[in-house]
Formats: sequence, structure tokens, C-alpha cells
Amino acid sequence: MGRAAISSTNSQFVFPRWANYLLPGLLLALAVAVIYVPVVVGYGLAPQALAVGYRPIQPVPYSHALHAGELGIDCRYCHNTVDKAPFAALPPTQTCMNCHSMIKTDSPKLALVRQSYATGMPIHWIRVHDLAGYVYFNHAIHVNKGIGCVTCHGRVDKMDVVAQVKPLSMGWCLDCHRAPEKYLRPRDQVTNMTWDPVADAGKDQLTLGLELKRKYNIPDATFMTSCSTCHR
Amino acid sequence: MSGYQDEKLPIPTPRRLKKEFLLPGLPSPAKRILAILAALALVPLVLIWHARVSYTTEPRIQLMQDMGVQPRYGPQAPSPVYADGRAMRLPVAGTVARETYAPDDHFDRGYRLVKDPKTGQWKVDFFTDLPPQVAMSHWTLNRGRTVFNIYCAVCHGLDARGDGMINQRATELQEPKWIPPANLTQIDPQTGQLQFGPQEYPDGKLFNTITHGIRNMPAYGPQIETADRWAVVAYVRALQLAQHATLDDVPSEQRGNLR
Repeated sequence: MGRAAISSTNSQFVFPRWANYLLPGLLLALAVAVIYVPVVVGYGLAPQALAVGYRPIQPVPYSHALHAGELGIDCRYCHNTVDKAPFAALPPTQTCMNCHSMIKTDSPKLALVRQSYATGMPIHWIRVHDLAGYVYFNHAIHVNKGIGCVTCHGRVDKMDVVAQVKPLSMGWCLDCHRAPEKYLRPRDQVTNMTWDPVADAGKDQLTLGLELKRKYNIPDATFMTSCSTCHR
Repeated sequence: MSGYQDEKLPIPTPRRLKKEFLLPGLPSPAKRILAILAALALVPLVLIWHARVSYTTEPRIQLMQDMGVQPRYGPQAPSPVYADGRAMRLPVAGTVARETYAPDDHFDRGYRLVKDPKTGQWKVDFFTDLPPQVAMSHWTLNRGRTVFNIYCAVCHGLDARGDGMINQRATELQEPKWIPPANLTQIDPQTGQLQFGPQEYPDGKLFNTITHGIRNMPAYGPQIETADRWAVVAYVRALQLAQHATLDDVPSEQRGNLR
């Protein structure tokens, strides 16, 4: 006797055969969700997705690739407070005019710079690297203890328009605060964008890093990862 | 017809799974819905991948805004409150900041004003040495080298001969307003002395030139701290010596180290 006959004679409901898929299908969907949801949340909400790659259009098309890269102007020529103050200052328009009062004096790209110089109104540069308000960050201590610009800002000397290339997240900060030897370099190489421990110091990074950590009196991980070191 | 589907615990052999993968018996609208769901599930993954490999002009999304975005102004922050857009206010005219208080003729200016007893005219008298606050030492020369290489070498060159990268660039661009920077190691043909050497260009004058600029050279007082400017003076003297040094100037025990 076929199943169709049963359902037609008795008004009893019989699950169709595909209903057998429901339970294994549900289990399978659950198993996929257990992997899928953390992947989407983890990767989607990570700073690498949300923060990295911020590249605002600046009011003046200033190219770091030309000035810092091709011409080799030191970072500190313009950001001259970086080794003395918490904030690596943006240069005043005067600094631009050091050269541009004589070079490219008619360039339309520099119209805003000339206007700013003439009127005293600042150029509204857009900040790229912006930490959360509850983070205390001091450029001077990092630069003076041998953390290179390139370590946190990437190859700015190759960027026509500056972009954020590192997550600037707490986990990322702690990676270095737990083991600064992974990134330390001699103080006089801080602004060198192409410094390499093996090629320039003849040592591998960890050996040199541990030496510099002692030499520059860098505190141990207990202090470096204490809450109040960065949240004060 | 009884198949494995009627078994109580069907063993999932590869062959059976392959058959089941096509969901036989499932009504086709249900299959379509499942296919659409699977495709939709890929959309977030593609968006995440795109967010990770592309640049954006939009600032980052801050998920937890609590105290991350604080209603306060940081250094050099813009503010709509003031007409000039600065949150940091300029000091009131005539204000002397602590670090810009300059009471010392020698250290802060490099010269003093001397009254000529005959004519009664004030004259500038440049100091010919470093001020007592700046000791001539290995440290000072090293500091001078660092500062010189950052601020001066762009035009004057690392060797102070006046052919830095900016000069090369300006020459290449044939900039009409460009005047090549001075070769600080140049010998004055009339006197046979260094044109910018200690005899013809005293330390205080060199310091004053760095501070306030001269002719086309801009002022570097705003960019370089006072003590660092003196360190540059010391280092320029070292460069002037080094660029005209002969083997006789090298102590005999050091000559083996020359390369």
C-alpha cells in the first residue's frame, strides 16, 4: 500500500520525505553559523576593517612621496616637535613658505598655502591618525626611545596622500608594549624609512632590540602594560 | 522501495552524501531559497574583504563612543567657535612665553649693542665664541650634526657646500626666483680665509643668521631651539675644518682609521 493511499483515506498528516532534512539541515546550519558569525563579527568589526585605510582628501595636495621620499626631507623638518612634545605638530604655513616663497611660486596647487600665509588663517589639514580620547599618547617618549616613524605610520615616504595603515588599536599597542625589542631601533635611525636591523646594524632585530631596551632603560612589561601607562 | 533513507541510522558514505547534496525530494522553491541565503551569506564576507583592502575618505567607525570621542579640543584642533578656525588661541600681543624669554645677549641673540663713544651710534657687536650655556663637546657636535642634517642640509647639503636636495630640485625646475644657497666652506679669494669662517663670520653672526635668516634664507629661529642653533654653529665650524682638512690635520695615531 502506498503512502498516498494512507493520506487520502485517513485524514492523517504524513511528513513528506524531505522533512528528514530538517534536523540534519538545522544542525548543519548551526555548525556553519558557529564559524560564520565569529568570522563576520571578528573580521568585520576589527580595526583593520574599520580604521585602516582612512585616507582623507587634504585641502592642499601635499605629497609626502615627493617631499619626504624623493627629496629626502627629514620628518622633523616639518614635524619638529615630535621629539620634544606629546604631539607631532603640523607645521605652520611659514614652514611651507621656507621653500615655496622661491619654488613653484605660481603653482595653483599651492594657492591655499599662499593665501594662508598672506592672511594668517591656518590651513585646515585633516587629521589621519586619531586615537580614542581616553588614550594618553606621547610622541616624544616613543621617538626618543627608538621607535621609528615607519613602525606606526608605514611608508609615508611612498604615500602621495597619507593613509592610516596600522590599526592603532589597543591590542596593536600592547603587541609592542609587551615586547618592544621587536621594534626598537637606534635613536638616530628613527626617521629612516628604510632602516633594516641586519643590513644597517648587522644584528637580527631581537638581539639588537634587547640591547637597545637595556641601553634606553625601557621599563619591563609590568610597567609597560599597566593600565595607567596609557590611560591616565 | 526501501533505501538507506529508511534505515534507522543511515551511515553517511561519500556516495550517499553526494546524492544528498542535491537535496532530492526537496521542493524547488525551498532549494531556491536556500541558494539565495547561501549567496547572501557571502555578501558580508565580500564587504569585509573590500573594507580591508581599500582606502576610504570616511573616518573610522568607532563602535564604542563612550569617552572615545570626548567634547574637548586637542592640540591644533579645528574649532568652529573662532573666526580663524583655531581651537588653540594665539597669545595676546606682547606676551612673552617662558621659553621665549630671552634675557641673554650672548645665548639668545649672539650679539650685543655697543654705543660708539664718538658718534653716539649703537653698533652690533657679534660674539665670536659659543655662549657658556653651550659647551663645545662631542655631544654638542653630535647634536649639531643631527639638527644640521634635518634643517640645513636640505639646501646647504650634508657637506655644507650648498648643493642640497632642494637646490638640486630648484635648479632642475629652473625656478626663476631661486638663489643657490651659500657654500659654507667657500674660501674668500681676496683674503684666502673661509668666507663664513670664524674670522670673517663670527659665531654670533652665524647664530643670528640661522635665527633670523638672511636674504633668501628663511628664519630658522621658529623651528630650531636656541641651544640647538648654537650646536649647529659648532657643527658648521667642524664641517668647515673637515672640508679643507689635509692628512696633516689627522693625529698620526688616527691615520690608520681613515678610509
